[in-house]
Amino acid sequence: MSRLQYLFLVIFLLFFVSKSKAKEELEAEEEFSEALLLRPLPDRKVLAHFHFQISVPPTQTYVRHHHLFPKSIYQLVQKFRIRELELSFTQGRWNYERWGGYDPISSSVAKPPGVELWAVFDVPKNQVDSSWKNLTHALSGLFCASINFLEDSTTYSSPEWTFRHSGNSLRYGTLPREAVCTENLTPWLKLLPCRDKAGLAALMDRPSIYRGSYHSQKLHITVKEYGAVESNSGIILQQTLSVVLQPPNLGIPSKSKLQPSWSLSSLFGREVSGKCILSKSSHVYIQFEQNLVSELKRLEEATKASNTEVLSSGFSSNNPSFELSVSPNRVIKEVASSDKGTSVLFEFSVDHYRDLKPFDLKLNWKLPASWSCEQAPFHVSRFLMGSGNERGAIAISLTSTGKNVYKQGATEGGVCHFRVNIFQFVPWYVKVYYHTLRIYTDEQLQPAEGLVEKMRVSPSEDKVSPGVMEMVLKLSCGVKTAALTLEFDKGFLHIDEYPPDANQGFDIPSALVNFADFQTKMHFVEDDSLENAPILSNLKETRPVLAYTEVLLVPLTTPDFSMPYNVITITCTVFALYFGSLLNALRRRIGEEERLLKDKERRKGPLTMLLSRLSAKLRGKPIEPPEPSSSSTSSHLVSRKLISKILLVAGVAAIWQFYLE
Amino acid sequence: MRNVLFFSKSATWLFVLVVVFSAADDVIGFTMHTNNWAVLVCTSRFWFNYRHMANTLSLYRTVKRLGIPDERIILMLADDMACNARNKYPAQVFNNENHKLNLYGDNVEVDYRGYEVTVENFMRVLTGRHENAVPRSKRLLSDEGSHILIYMTGHGGDEFLKFQDNEELQSHDLADAVKQMKEKKRFKELLIMVDTCQAATLFNQLSSPGVLAIGSSMKGENSYSHHLDSDVGVSVVDRFTYHTLAFFEKLNMYDNASLTSLFNSYNPRLLMSTAYYRTDLYERKLNEVPVTNFFGSVMETIHTDSAYRVFSRKRSKQFEATLEPSEENVAMSVGQKETDDPIIKEQQIACPFTRSINRIHQKMDKIPNPDSWLIYGLVLMVPMVAVSSWFSH
Repeated sequence: MSRLQYLFLVIFLLFFVSKSKAKEELEAEEEFSEALLLRPLPDRKVLAHFHFQISVPPTQTYVRHHHLFPKSIYQLVQKFRIRELELSFTQGRWNYERWGGYDPISSSVAKPPGVELWAVFDVPKNQVDSSWKNLTHALSGLFCASINFLEDSTTYSSPEWTFRHSGNSLRYGTLPREAVCTENLTPWLKLLPCRDKAGLAALMDRPSIYRGSYHSQKLHITVKEYGAVESNSGIILQQTLSVVLQPPNLGIPSKSKLQPSWSLSSLFGREVSGKCILSKSSHVYIQFEQNLVSELKRLEEATKASNTEVLSSGFSSNNPSFELSVSPNRVIKEVASSDKGTSVLFEFSVDHYRDLKPFDLKLNWKLPASWSCEQAPFHVSRFLMGSGNERGAIAISLTSTGKNVYKQGATEGGVCHFRVNIFQFVPWYVKVYYHTLRIYTDEQLQPAEGLVEKMRVSPSEDKVSPGVMEMVLKLSCGVKTAALTLEFDKGFLHIDEYPPDANQGFDIPSALVNFADFQTKMHFVEDDSLENAPILSNLKETRPVLAYTEVLLVPLTTPDFSMPYNVITITCTVFALYFGSLLNALRRRIGEEERLLKDKERRKGPLTMLLSRLSAKLRGKPIEPPEPSSSSTSSHLVSRKLISKILLVAGVAAIWQFYLE
Repeated sequence: MRNVLFFSKSATWLFVLVVVFSAADDVIGFTMHTNNWAVLVCTSRFWFNYRHMANTLSLYRTVKRLGIPDERIILMLADDMACNARNKYPAQVFNNENHKLNLYGDNVEVDYRGYEVTVENFMRVLTGRHENAVPRSKRLLSDEGSHILIYMTGHGGDEFLKFQDNEELQSHDLADAVKQMKEKKRFKELLIMVDTCQAATLFNQLSSPGVLAIGSSMKGENSYSHHLDSDVGVSVVDRFTYHTLAFFEKLNMYDNASLTSLFNSYNPRLLMSTAYYRTDLYERKLNEVPVTNFFGSVMETIHTDSAYRVFSRKRSKQFEATLEPSEENVAMSVGQKETDDPIIKEQQIACPFTRSINRIHQKMDKIPNPDSWLIYGLVLMVPMVAVSSWFSH
């Protein structure tokens, strides 16, 4: 009997084990991949873009055991039912003119200064705000930043269609003045399986990356297949760090047109000693933009013509104008699309590098090359107008970069148009009057009705909600410049609401300008190798062309306690002058004063007498004879009086002393 | 039958357990020191207050080195100096001209920073009254077995400490918070260390037992910075903190240096102010308490014969044993303190007026017959008065 039971038990167990095993096999593994993309920039700088990706496939089990994926992020996603989230910490401003604004990298790298956070929640509408509030607190604890200031309803908004089409569950907030430093990078690195101990992240030497002109650290969470079952979801966590670095000048005169040569060790002060052992792929890429590629091709042709040396056809790493210290494992060429040139990626695998043989890629320039980055159709800038502490105006100006926009523009009735989405978020103490919106195209005032296709305004409410403006402008393709202005009044804050450094001014967060008809992506030949490199599949995705404007600094009237003091002082002075002169006029007795003066004249001392006599002699005049007898008696009398006075004072002092003791 | 037997057996066990419990309660009577926490606050904003951040970060580094983990350190920095645009060395903070030690390191975790460093948040951290949403990393989750170090630095005055040049923490606030902490059993022992002008006055209102306080200066004294770094362009450390660090740099986690030796390491001549210790609320003898009690995380390990016999812990007698090589040191410095006393008194007030007065006093002491001098002086005054009165008429 019991033996039979045992047998059943064993069979039962076996069945379970096999089933779970089968499930494990079915389950895809968590994957981690790392990549670093380096791109020379036209202004002698280098963009370094680190890209780390960890993905969790969807599972059926309720309890998940994590191998690579950070538990803290997983819990965050589960707790707040996040569908998508992006958090970026940025220092500096992306220079759209020099570093480009019309390629997938720049549109994903460029972020507004400070902290930007947006999240899409999968909760009922009335719970979104409380989820957002709790999320900001959790993130502030995770990333050592004051993200919890975004919990206040005056600091975030829910853009409906300019930012991303996601209905009502999106929340967006920025903190333009948040400092970004090591303490933010440390927890970010701790999410990586190898931290900064191995792999490409080991390059992140804090002083060298914070020395750069631009620095942006980003965390992006995408949740896929968010089903009815909570645990049934796959999560992709993308962490990117982009820095614009100035390569040190290695003995090259700064005036020469030759681009500075650089290596990983000269940029970061460190080398790569192998990949993170937990990563599925670990690659370093050098990207040459399309304009640089055509410039290099031109240079190659020129040298060919002079040298008559036959070089291999096409573009390769052994080019006369530059030299790579390590030969690339693969050269990935973009497939030529209709409107653009092609860029080139050199791929280097760091798999087989070890501590003793570190990977130190070097790019040497041999010929001077000059090029410019691909620009967005318009250059966007925003500035303040007006003066004083009472009112002003915000102006957003769009200046054409000379790009041909006819191709992308939509033609309606024979007229070419293209759309520009603008999203602007203004704190409540800058009270914008939206009815004062004026739009100028080519320096001509235009009626707004003709140009604004769609507009949503939610005016600010004092201490409750910020002012938000979303609009779609429809500009004709030939427009050279466009500008829009909005007037505002400056409000007053309560004395407790001023920050400690209120005199510095208040920030208006960056406006976001989205060129809706323009999209950017990289075109690669489809093959399996791309699947292994998430950074490439990421670049292949279609992205909108975006531009963030400058942060505006608005000076507001600050509490100043010197004013009451000034008022008190001036009032007292006025009173004193008034009463003093009044009393003087009423109480003055001129006759008495004259008598006193004469008295004094008579009581002159012997020395002054002597002096007056001397002066009289010198002038040759007879002097009035003084009364010696009276003077002598008076002096005697006075001295006696004086002694009695001194005695009195001494007595008082003695009594004082006595009583004190 | 068996059941009954089992029942009786368990009942006896229960009885034994209860007895043990009550006995244990009697024996213990106090809670063990089980964990260490540190709250480090830099209250000053703006670049020219670089030294205050360097002070705080130096202490942060020290307590971390001596074993308090990051999750038990609440670090509050009122401004960003490391990545400040005026900092020539990005992501680095130095507390010495020689730039040998980057205090910011690669692994710093700041819990409250910038505008978050307010009196309100400081009080919330101490008393533990947070909003629900506040994450654990920003809370002081101490208990009745905790030793807490509170270090504050900034600009202060008579019974107050300025926060961000905007608001003040008053000595009453601090005392109330500490009292509340005691009532809520949030600490066993508390060391408050303050580096600011007139720091001693901040402790005037403290009244909770188990509190020890160290201030950098007495009432009426300033706390001065130690030296200027001409590369950074500002002063990089305060004197009191500099000498505290000088003491701690010699120690490691296993050293047994006592609090007395720390207190005696402060030389008023080097500090240019008189360090103040308030010890009347603290029961234990200072020369028996090692500094790692507050600045490190060194626990007493209790050997038990078997696992899970929690109640057999005895009254801890940790420091009866050896008080290290520095015991003689301590004794010596105590003796020294007594002999040095007059000098210390003289040194107390360092402003130029009192210094000159002191010099006059010293000169007067050297005169053999002071009474005659006095008489001569009085006699001399008579003709002077006479002459002056004669001139005035």
